[in-house]
Amino acid sequence: MSFKHSSEDGYPTPTSTEQRRLEIILSQHRPPPDHPKPTLQKNVHMQWLVRNFSQGFPERFISQDASQPWLFFWTLQGFYFIGAELDPQNKQRCIDTIMACQHSDGGFGGGPGQFPHLLSTYAAVSALACVGRPGPGGGWDQIDRVKLYSFFMSLKQPDGSFLVSRDSEVDIRGIYCLLCAATLLDMLTPELVAGTASFVASLQTYEGGFASASHPYYIADPPSLETLADYPRPALGEAHGGYTFCALASWILLRPLLDKMELERVPEINVKNLTRWLALMQGSEIELGGFKGRTNKLVDVCYSWWVGGCFALLRSLGVGVRHTVPSQQQVDNEDDDEQWSDVDDDVFNRFAIQEYIFYAGQHTTGGLRDKPPKVADAYHTLYALSGLSTAQHYTAPSDEVRERLRKEWKQIHDDSLDEWRKVAYVEARAWKEEEAASMYINGPGDRLNAAHPVFNLTITHVGRIMSHFYKQNQS
Amino acid sequence: MNQALTQLLRSFILKPANKDATDYFRGVVKAGEMSERVLTLTESVIRMNPAHYSAWQYRYRTLLAINAPLDEELELMDELAEKFLKNYQVWHHRRLLLQRGALAKTPAAELAFIARGLSYDAKNYHTWAYRQWILAYFNQDALWEGEMRYIENMLEDDVRNNSAWHHRFFVVFSNGVRKGDEDREDTIRREVSFTKEKIALAPNNASAWNYLRGVLEHSDTPFASLREFVLPYTVPAHSSLDDVRDDSVVDLENPRPSPGADLPCPAAIEFLADIHEAVGDLQLISFRQLWKSLADEHDTIRKRYWEHRISEAQASRDS
Ligand SMILES: [Zn+2]
Repeated sequence: MSFKHSSEDGYPTPTSTEQRRLEIILSQHRPPPDHPKPTLQKNVHMQWLVRNFSQGFPERFISQDASQPWLFFWTLQGFYFIGAELDPQNKQRCIDTIMACQHSDGGFGGGPGQFPHLLSTYAAVSALACVGRPGPGGGWDQIDRVKLYSFFMSLKQPDGSFLVSRDSEVDIRGIYCLLCAATLLDMLTPELVAGTASFVASLQTYEGGFASASHPYYIADPPSLETLADYPRPALGEAHGGYTFCALASWILLRPLLDKMELERVPEINVKNLTRWLALMQGSEIELGGFKGRTNKLVDVCYSWWVGGCFALLRSLGVGVRHTVPSQQQVDNEDDDEQWSDVDDDVFNRFAIQEYIFYAGQHTTGGLRDKPPKVADAYHTLYALSGLSTAQHYTAPSDEVRERLRKEWKQIHDDSLDEWRKVAYVEARAWKEEEAASMYINGPGDRLNAAHPVFNLTITHVGRIMSHFYKQNQS
Repeated sequence: MNQALTQLLRSFILKPANKDATDYFRGVVKAGEMSERVLTLTESVIRMNPAHYSAWQYRYRTLLAINAPLDEELELMDELAEKFLKNYQVWHHRRLLLQRGALAKTPAAELAFIARGLSYDAKNYHTWAYRQWILAYFNQDALWEGEMRYIENMLEDDVRNNSAWHHRFFVVFSNGVRKGDEDREDTIRREVSFTKEKIALAPNNASAWNYLRGVLEHSDTPFASLREFVLPYTVPAHSSLDDVRDDSVVDLENPRPSPGADLPCPAAIEFLADIHEAVGDLQLISFRQLWKSLADEHDTIRKRYWEHRISEAQASRDS
């Protein structure tokens, strides 16, 4: 079967020429109907991850603001998706190497002696969520949270945004990284996130996706919250998959806290336009259903997570949520003995994206890649696995889990922040995977562990580290 | 599998790259040295690894501490920007220098420099974001004035360049009212007819359709006002609709699809469905049918999304 090429309308331009070239390559990667379909080569990828890890830092990773904590996070989370567990000695070596990146002023840098940076701080905390533990030498209790908090505050801008590092740029990735670390480590305060949700909302462009930053106009100098103009507030840069994920995940973390803050105006995002833009990022059959990161750009495996992962996040805003209907109403459903059955309402093509990852994303010698004929790298390997995981599993906030966590909440601090901390804790932990709604295109042999849609860690690891820092029972 | 992992990881050692330079750099930072020498050192670290943010950061602090001439630094950045176009530290460092008043050239010259960068890489995110920052930060009429011409040239080169379309929205709508654009209705009219023409040229261009939607939503203009324009794009090329029209009459308001156009165009069908949904007129072809045609025929990869639209519309009608 051959699929239709994207239309050039008899008017080729550099964009459509490049697109056509890739479509020809990709269509050659679709297995012919009479051939066996490629499956996930778990062992080969595992060995590739290990090899990559053992050999250290190939030069090319350094060029994508990569750093040691990122290499650890990408590799360790990859192991946990595949279902491997590290032995205690190797875990300890990971912990020690990551902790060596902690800066004496708080926060983590890209390597020992490097300045602290929000992106490496996120990677370090996430990697420690995978392999760390409480107690001496375990990493968790050696994170200097007091200094980390003042590092965070030192980066805060009057418009609610944050620099990624001293004298550096504002970038929604940094804000996502900060919010993840602060949520996991019980460091969220109203002071820390004042104005941040409005900033996040300002990044949504006319296309529906989000940009990396926006430009604050001030009525007069010096810039302060009082002199910040409401309008105009232009997005710098177009809607982009990576930034959209970071913005939406940040929004999901902040949203439950909004009504706990005294806000003159509650910020809003346009969910309908966002959903449309996300859906349009999925490439057609000839592109094997891969995701693009921007309108009229090429598909790339890492957007399986950055864009594909947004559909899981949207469930917490009520988009694409499974609903339960009495099975009598389902005429064609004979193999279901249950009285109730679930109807899922996915808004993206969960099947096709798995095909892209299997057919185009896997490199024969291990690891996963952006697109053929590129080579594999640690970044694309992790985000391809994350994207596959989010396409396989149905994960959504569960009312039942939320209720249980609320009931079990142990009040530790007798102050006004307690309710705030409780909301942050309960909402972050309410995500639950429904195994019955899983979808594997070749059967469960390809199964990866489910990812927490906000943190991109396993749900177990999120529960473990959060219950430690919030001093709650790990249930 | 776990057994294998333990065995393989036995040899796990982390080898830092550029050991010498980074060690030396670390030593300098530890000693708190800020000197001419540090500028030489950080430059060589950056040349080896332009993403070394600590080197950039320390370089910037050193420049300020020793009162180094920032215009010279900007010249060095001209060279590095061309070398490391994809690297955003290069652009950010320029921005810091400009904020500190380094401007041997005018901001207009900076725009010309950026244009050169974009001529190599027409969709570079950081380069476009930097251009937008220059415009918003200096916010001078003279700077804004040249932008429309520039965008039109970019779209002339590639009408599918979404970065250029976004830049157009940035210039026309996102920064308040520009000089010459005070008549907003006129501006909207201009933008709509510009976009219609670009759609006619190559109808299956998501960038143009998104821009059109953006303009209409921004100005609260009903999609229905474009019904006449959209219709010929929603049907196969030689359909009955052609019979009722006289091709010799050129309707400037509603440019028709170019002869090479691949029709029907899914974006047009979606647009028409949105008109029908908003109008809610049952006499019209049901928008549900249009969405269904996308789901089952014209845009099957997004089947679930179009079905989602149908059930959303149903739900809002029921409620
Ligand atoms: Zn990528």
